[in-house]
Amino acid sequence: MQEWQELKTVGKPVPKRDAIYKVTGTATYIHDIKLPGMLYGKILWSSIPHARILNIDVSRAKRLPGVKAVLTGYDVPEIRFGFYKDNMPLKKGKVVTRRDEVAAVAAIDPEIAEEAISLIKVDYEPLPAVFDPLEAMQEGAPLIHEEHGTNVLKLPWKLEVGDLEEAKRKSAHIVSDRFETSWVTHCCMGTTGCIASFDPSGNLILYSPTQIPYLAQREFKEALKFLGLGDKNVRIIQPYIGGGFGSKLDTYPYEYIAILLAWYTKKPVKITFTREEEFRYTSPRQKVIIDITQGCDKDGKLTFREVHMILDNGGRTSWGATTPSVMMMPISSLYKVPVVKYTAICVYTNNTYCQAMRGYGNPQATFAIECSMDQLAEAAGIDPLEFRLINANEPGEVTPQGFRVSSCALRECLEEVGKRLQWKEKRGRRNGRGVGVAALIHVGGGARVYRSDACGTIIKIDDFGRCFVFSGATDIGQGADTVIAQVVAEELGLPVEKVTVIMNDTDVCPWDVGVHASRTTFIACHSALGAARKIKKQILEVAALSLGVEAADLTIKDEVIYSKTNPSKKIELEKVLRSAHFRTQGMMFMAEHFYDPDTEMLDKKFQGNFSEAYAYGAHGVEVKVDPDTGQVEVLRYVAVHDVGKAINPMLLEGQIYGGVMMGLGYALTEEMKFERGDLKNPNFLDYKILTAKDVPPIEVVLLEPYEPKGPFGAKGIGEPGCVPTAPAIANAIYDAVGIRVKQLPITPEKVLKELLKQKA
Amino acid sequence: MLKKFEYIKAKSFEEAVDLLSHYGDKAKLIAGGTDVMVAIKQGKITPEVLISIKNISEGSYIKVSEEELKIGAITTHRELEKNPHIQKLGALIDAVRQLGSVQIRNVATIGGNICNAAPSADTVPPLLVHDARLTIKGHNGLKTFPIEEFFLGPGKTVLSSDEVLTEIIIPLPRMSSASAYWKHSRRKGMDLAIIGVALWIDVIFEDVEKLKAVKNGEIEEQFEALERSAIYCKDVRLALGVAAPKPIRTHKAEEFLKGQRLSRRTLTEFGAIAASEAQPRDTFRGEAWYRREMIKVLPARLCLLCIYRLLDSFGGEA
Amino acid sequence: MKKRISFKLNGEDIQLEVEPYWTLLYTIREVLGLIGTKEGCGMGECGACTVIVDRKAVVSCIYPVLEVEGKEVWTIEGLNVGIEGGLHPIQRAFIEKGAVQCGFCTPGMIMSAKALLDENLDPTEEEIRDAICGNLCRCTGYVQIIKAIKEASRILKGV
Repeated sequence: MQEWQELKTVGKPVPKRDAIYKVTGTATYIHDIKLPGMLYGKILWSSIPHARILNIDVSRAKRLPGVKAVLTGYDVPEIRFGFYKDNMPLKKGKVVTRRDEVAAVAAIDPEIAEEAISLIKVDYEPLPAVFDPLEAMQEGAPLIHEEHGTNVLKLPWKLEVGDLEEAKRKSAHIVSDRFETSWVTHCCMGTTGCIASFDPSGNLILYSPTQIPYLAQREFKEALKFLGLGDKNVRIIQPYIGGGFGSKLDTYPYEYIAILLAWYTKKPVKITFTREEEFRYTSPRQKVIIDITQGCDKDGKLTFREVHMILDNGGRTSWGATTPSVMMMPISSLYKVPVVKYTAICVYTNNTYCQAMRGYGNPQATFAIECSMDQLAEAAGIDPLEFRLINANEPGEVTPQGFRVSSCALRECLEEVGKRLQWKEKRGRRNGRGVGVAALIHVGGGARVYRSDACGTIIKIDDFGRCFVFSGATDIGQGADTVIAQVVAEELGLPVEKVTVIMNDTDVCPWDVGVHASRTTFIACHSALGAARKIKKQILEVAALSLGVEAADLTIKDEVIYSKTNPSKKIELEKVLRSAHFRTQGMMFMAEHFYDPDTEMLDKKFQGNFSEAYAYGAHGVEVKVDPDTGQVEVLRYVAVHDVGKAINPMLLEGQIYGGVMMGLGYALTEEMKFERGDLKNPNFLDYKILTAKDVPPIEVVLLEPYEPKGPFGAKGIGEPGCVPTAPAIANAIYDAVGIRVKQLPITPEKVLKELLKQKA
Repeated sequence: MLKKFEYIKAKSFEEAVDLLSHYGDKAKLIAGGTDVMVAIKQGKITPEVLISIKNISEGSYIKVSEEELKIGAITTHRELEKNPHIQKLGALIDAVRQLGSVQIRNVATIGGNICNAAPSADTVPPLLVHDARLTIKGHNGLKTFPIEEFFLGPGKTVLSSDEVLTEIIIPLPRMSSASAYWKHSRRKGMDLAIIGVALWIDVIFEDVEKLKAVKNGEIEEQFEALERSAIYCKDVRLALGVAAPKPIRTHKAEEFLKGQRLSRRTLTEFGAIAASEAQPRDTFRGEAWYRREMIKVLPARLCLLCIYRLLDSFGGEA
Repeated sequence: MKKRISFKLNGEDIQLEVEPYWTLLYTIREVLGLIGTKEGCGMGECGACTVIVDRKAVVSCIYPVLEVEGKEVWTIEGLNVGIEGGLHPIQRAFIEKGAVQCGFCTPGMIMSAKALLDENLDPTEEEIRDAICGNLCRCTGYVQIIKAIKEASRILKGV
């Protein structure tokens, strides 16, 4: 494309715009913010997984000097939140998990707050607890929420396309197996926290590293109604965010608690989590039990995919219970599969409860699907890579869920993996070394999981050609601040240094649904481009008058406005900008754009094109398995991603490296170890995220098939990096030593156990 | 959150002992602080007074004489890592290199690692196989303990509340011997051992050509080469960490291997006997059956490692 | 009871009254108001609080403040003081090579890199990984951080 050769900032490895603040230690995160008169809040959580609360004695805590408020569920309105409305800030009546917040304290310093917490005495009447969803599903199991009458949530997760029985009959080969994933957690290096503060009129300001500023604003406005503040404003200010990965996609009880403490003390209240609290009391990745059956015909073409899942919902409900709506995506649309049946049930237990985590169910579903694909390939006597190529998705497809796939380079991704891994030479030796592959599909053009998938932008440009882009988007480290600046700079012919993206204040910035679903580059850049084009039009119209040409003839490059047909007719951008208001009847340059993609919410049958584009990829890995210790060493890792267009290749690669390392931890070393709901490893010593010494050689390949619906052809990348890692490794281990571990993480113990079984 | 305590810097071991006597139960010794500060923050210990021995200048040294190596208890792991004299003690070098992170090693001391007495302490199995002796200072002066007798259980040593470890004495190993430490962990850095194995072996070489040829080969190839070589164990010491309530030597296994020709059979037996002497537990950090399997498997690998170290140090000459 | 200590901080002489139970991190952040050094875990396991004391990288969250008496302490804020161009080569390299995403681990990571390069101007990749293995990062997967440190070493060698 002629245009590409002329791109000045898009496609370039522009350094992250806020990196300078981070490398100098001047970026302020929630932990760094102090307000005058601020109090410190601390929470008492339940020490018992399932119990009736008989009595809470806060008298000694209240008497401690320096304590300004002690609240329990009996002192505050019962504000129900969460999409299943089974959560509230402070619990009363009973506790159903060790994560339940029972009391909260605000004091003049954190030490006094902590001491006050230790002085609160709670009398519990323990109730029989259940920690296994299979048990909790049975008749007679202890009920977590008696009022529901059952431990099975009323959720509609069911997808059926085509005639399953007929497809089974037509299959030449069928494989069936069970896979299980574990609880892993985000481990953002910056722990979570917030500061709640009311102004004298009763308007709330919440400093929060939330990933959903506008949705959270709505939730908190609802909560304020309970305090008689329904007509007040809620302003959410996001400080620098020390990591997201989905951990902040839902509102948490502690945020409401901070708000309540701030209301009752009439002072700002800060609650920040210690690392132990972060491990224990934030919501991890959804744990799933997956039963999968797949079939193919004699030529290796997939005939059907049948998946049933059981999700451990924990004691309360957060986004984990909605992961099936995303898990349907790979189930229906990873590879060409004509017939699909999927059901998922979510079961209450007294365990922790889960929410969004990078991939939002896709890593879990893809683990099962891609392991099963290898099993099916083996049953059919076809090489696994070849098997995938036979069934690879293609551009222009409409999948069983109704996804309209525009750009798709899955075939090329798989072929590239095969080439770089030297698949043909290395596959099938069974000598302790093996290669494995797994592919992925993820949304690449936003995801209409809410009624809106939109993002608003307001853009203004000052007299000096400095452009300010007010975006509803959020930067969680992924680079929204940079790619938005890049596309605006490109459009307006400005150096990227002159474009500043402002996006952390709900009073100032326009609406956005949140930073999730790898949507920010696609949606926020479209929104910013829309506004940029409008402001460009305003500028060129003024310039046209000045130059005596038609506006359509003009373009901006390097801060100079040129006539395309007669380049000697030009004027400096700054001149035009100043001239617009230094005159009578002056004007200002300002534009806005609300971009809402042309997609649909999934209907009652979970059909619908809920993203404008789909991202594909394939990961390949070479492993060495030690037959005597079960240790798995990753010798080489190849990650090939179909990204449409890399607006910023350096930041994009950063997402993939980060995703791969997170995925390797998910596959091999990370696991939250619970004993009757009590977390045994709430620290970095025993919860094993990978270190710099664990990084294998990783090759990242970006394929750019140009997505016509994407800004400059781009698609999303935030999540895909960690989606296929676990099955790629499981498949490589199978190639190396002929055993398959079906529960994550694939620890040396599990590998050795299988190897010893194999020997026997 | 900050727990409160007084912090007194002792200027000598003498003073440390006096302070310990004076404060009794209320006090705890602190050197680098990487164990003590964490334990305080976790609420596991609540000392009113910390007696710091970090700044005792006479406590940090590495001295070599004809017969032995003496290490001051306050020497940091990083100082050990960088010291040329320690290179002879392969197992100890292996241990200090894999302990924690650079930040931890810069302040954590070998004395602290020993006295913290975690079953997973990395420096202890190497010191066990090197027959280290520990010098302890108390009110009655100095006494020496063989390290094997120093530990009583997890977190417990023979030190009474007013005694301080001042020195570690290691006899210089014979030229025909080498040692190695294997920290079996889940990550390559910043990790705890699932099981730790240290081996010291003194050998007689008769034919090592085939082994030399597969120095960079796979373990299987090396075992094959070992079968067709002639290497005899003159003396051996094997120690295990996280295999019992305290780090242990496996004397029965050692007795078995002494005098034997090193082969797959003898090394397998060696590991099996060692495994029978261990009492690994099921903890959330690792399963007993797996730890036992590793005790069977790892000593043989350590033997190979030691043999290669000897071959390297001799420049290939037997 | 508070004690008075004297030490050098980012090149300047400081005298401070401290409680014996304060950690170096607490003192830096809460008392001296230098918020660049972060608390990631409070247990010395993540490296976000890494500062340099007498040329050695240490985790300040478990470092008793009384131990800095007479010593030289450097935090991230001191890195670019007096440097031409306003940024230390390590900082420049981190920016240029994509080594910064959320940035929470960044100050600690940079200080570990500084301690390494001050001791060894030409580290191998192995030595770089060893130097930063106590600095956990969840965003970058370390690859671009290692590239940045190599780049910094290149710049510093040439200077």
